[in-house]
Amino acid sequence: MISSLHQKGLRLLGILLTIAGPISSAYAQMPNDAIYMGKKTACLAVSYTHSAWDQYWENTLKRENLNIGTHTTQSVMPMLAVGITKDFNAIVAVPYVWTKTSAGNLKWQKGMQDASLWLKYRFLNKSGFSLHAIGGASIPTSNYIPDFLPMSIGLQCKTATARLLASYRHQSGIYLTASGSYIFRSKITIDRDSYQADGKLYNTNQVSVPNTYDASARLGYLKKAIQAEGFIEYGACDGGDNIRRNDMPFPTNNMKATMVGVYAKFQPKNIGVNARASHVISGQNMGQSTAFSVGVLYQFRYAKEAKN
Amino acid sequence: MKINYISFRQSITRLVVPAMAVMMLWSCSKTVDEPTAGINTPSSLDEKAGTWKPYVLASSGAIAVAEPKEATSADYKAELQKLKAATEAVTPQQREQINYWGAGAVYRWNEIARELAARYNSPPASNADGKYPVPDASKPLDDPKFPFANPPYTARALAYLSVAQYDALVAAWNYKFKYNRKAPSKNDTSIKTLLPVSDLPSYPSEDAVVAEASCVVLKAMFPGEVPFLEAKLAEHKQSRISAGMNVESDITAGSELGKAVGAKIMARAKTDKMSGANNQAQTASMIANARKIGVTEPWVSQEFPPRPPMLPTYGFVTPWNFDSATVVALRPEAPPIIGSPAYQKDLNELLDIAKNQTREQARIASFWSDGVGSYTPPGHWHRKGAELCHENKYSEVRTARTLALLGTTMQDAGICCWDVKYWYYYPRPNQMSSKIKTSVGLPNFPSYTSGHSTFSGAAAEVLAHIFPDKKKEVDDMASEASVSRIYGMIHYRFDCEVGLSSGHKIGGYAVQRAKTDGAE
Repeated sequence: MISSLHQKGLRLLGILLTIAGPISSAYAQMPNDAIYMGKKTACLAVSYTHSAWDQYWENTLKRENLNIGTHTTQSVMPMLAVGITKDFNAIVAVPYVWTKTSAGNLKWQKGMQDASLWLKYRFLNKSGFSLHAIGGASIPTSNYIPDFLPMSIGLQCKTATARLLASYRHQSGIYLTASGSYIFRSKITIDRDSYQADGKLYNTNQVSVPNTYDASARLGYLKKAIQAEGFIEYGACDGGDNIRRNDMPFPTNNMKATMVGVYAKFQPKNIGVNARASHVISGQNMGQSTAFSVGVLYQFRYAKEAKN
Repeated sequence: MKINYISFRQSITRLVVPAMAVMMLWSCSKTVDEPTAGINTPSSLDEKAGTWKPYVLASSGAIAVAEPKEATSADYKAELQKLKAATEAVTPQQREQINYWGAGAVYRWNEIARELAARYNSPPASNADGKYPVPDASKPLDDPKFPFANPPYTARALAYLSVAQYDALVAAWNYKFKYNRKAPSKNDTSIKTLLPVSDLPSYPSEDAVVAEASCVVLKAMFPGEVPFLEAKLAEHKQSRISAGMNVESDITAGSELGKAVGAKIMARAKTDKMSGANNQAQTASMIANARKIGVTEPWVSQEFPPRPPMLPTYGFVTPWNFDSATVVALRPEAPPIIGSPAYQKDLNELLDIAKNQTREQARIASFWSDGVGSYTPPGHWHRKGAELCHENKYSEVRTARTLALLGTTMQDAGICCWDVKYWYYYPRPNQMSSKIKTSVGLPNFPSYTSGHSTFSGAAAEVLAHIFPDKKKEVDDMASEASVSRIYGMIHYRFDCEVGLSSGHKIGGYAVQRAKTDGAE
């Protein structure tokens, strides 16, 4: 029934979509913000995320499940953001994820999830207004089980993300950022050679997982050591089916969610901390999760100025 | 070395962007490759199948089929003309349907039944009072849907389907060779057929017989699917006309025969005690019995709220290949006493898997899970049986016989296993230790013996007899299905080993029938 409902939610929400579901955008700079590392500087961040739900949407029916109780997904994710130029950054990340429930008999799952690479390019920057093209790709790093939902830690898809982001930052430090993305997801292979999707029985171990898209808006303040923002994000699948009555979720489900949240960062020097909280306010085929994350950041120069 | 900004940007354009474009295109492919079944060209006519022993019909001639019009008659010639016109007007969609049904009538209806089983395999949700409403056959599409096509239900539905197909085809074969009407394209060589034609007499149409008999059974088993089934029935019959394989009177005679046989088979279904298989009132005395014979901690539902156990009196349903007294006689020895060294040994194995389940163990558990939303273990084995028949180019009647032997032995296995489960009322390992959690979903009925193991042992016994060259393969499959329940942490090893061995014994009864039904 519920599965990585939550996890997926976050994913859909465009937060490191391809990466760990529950991973949040708790970093100095993220694939969904307008912040860049300077040339030859890098930022290493490690975050911990705790996300839980005790209600979920079975198709559109909001329900609890006493055989799940509270479903919790936790993760630890190291992430490295590298400033290649002041307008071009690369980000890599890979989370370790573990799931559990407070009731029922479903085996908890854990493992390394999907490694992701993001490239961010600021192609317009004028009077506080900037436009960014962002591309991402992710690939599973371990052979975790993708269809034991809601306990699975991920879906085993390879993904590719195309995102456009626009931002305006006033001299006062107030900024407004909006983005939209489309995420291509590969077919996956499961351990079974028969499954149901779209009201049909498939006699194969290949599963066609729908693509997803997302949109987000964030309003915040960024000046010197402090950043604070509130955000709203929407994510959904481009097609897909619904969880059947009283049945488990499946990777083909059309998961949708609208999430609101707040984010803050404090980085007086090289070392900083950040925190994030979010809550799903509406959804379909996923859990109504509330997530918290905290992270530490360490910024450093990875190369000296060029000698020649 | 200093990275040149310009050249770096070029390299992005040259390498990264195309690479991502390729990746996106590749991600775009959403087509999944399902195995396709080619057109069946039977290697034998099985001319003597009219003398094979039916299951329910008194004999292959029990239902009368009128003699067809002579090939020289004006009526038949008019039918041929009509058929010729139909083949010349075939649409691309009809051609697709011809090829679909050309894989085999029994093959396709078995596949349809498995799909229905999967679609109806959903346990009812609990209501606000913490009760589980019982599906109502008169309101099949309400929540909860009727039926809940769990393994015992599906075992029975597939058994009746295969028996109806088999008895109907034995009857059809009797009349085919009695009346010997040649295929339309042999009477009129100007008819261009879209499927291969053999020397099998065409009256009554074997496709119409199978389609109608299947439809009668499946409408009763899945009453919410009547419109879907009638559409399939019409499409199947039309495909034989479009393909130039049968004239209208072949189809009509086959339809009448199929319907009549289907009705006879469903008459047995009405008296096989399935209607009493969910008698929850009997569980109290079953639990008392289990305590009396030494089960100190009888099974209790591990669901919240507690769910009544699945079909506690299914063990009293009438079996196919032996009688109800034999069900009791086949009951295996008692499981280990709870707390005994034998019990502890197998519990410890599960505690170890709970800590260290390997990816391969998880794969095997999942591959054989056949749980909620699936066609269940009987469906899994029917798929295997149907594929073997297709690979071996079996005729319709021999395919039906194989699946009837398989289907009846699996319902027998279900009946025997359910008898054992509720006789001993033995607790699941998950009830005895909360450290044991499942990677496949926990069935809501007692543990001893394993249903998967019993079904699989019986299925392998029958398939190994019919396809001796596949004996090792099917035995290995059954063993893997059996052990998968240990890897999935819902059964003790003794549940699985005793269940598998019982299954093989149960399968032996169907093999005994196979040796004497006239087909070997």
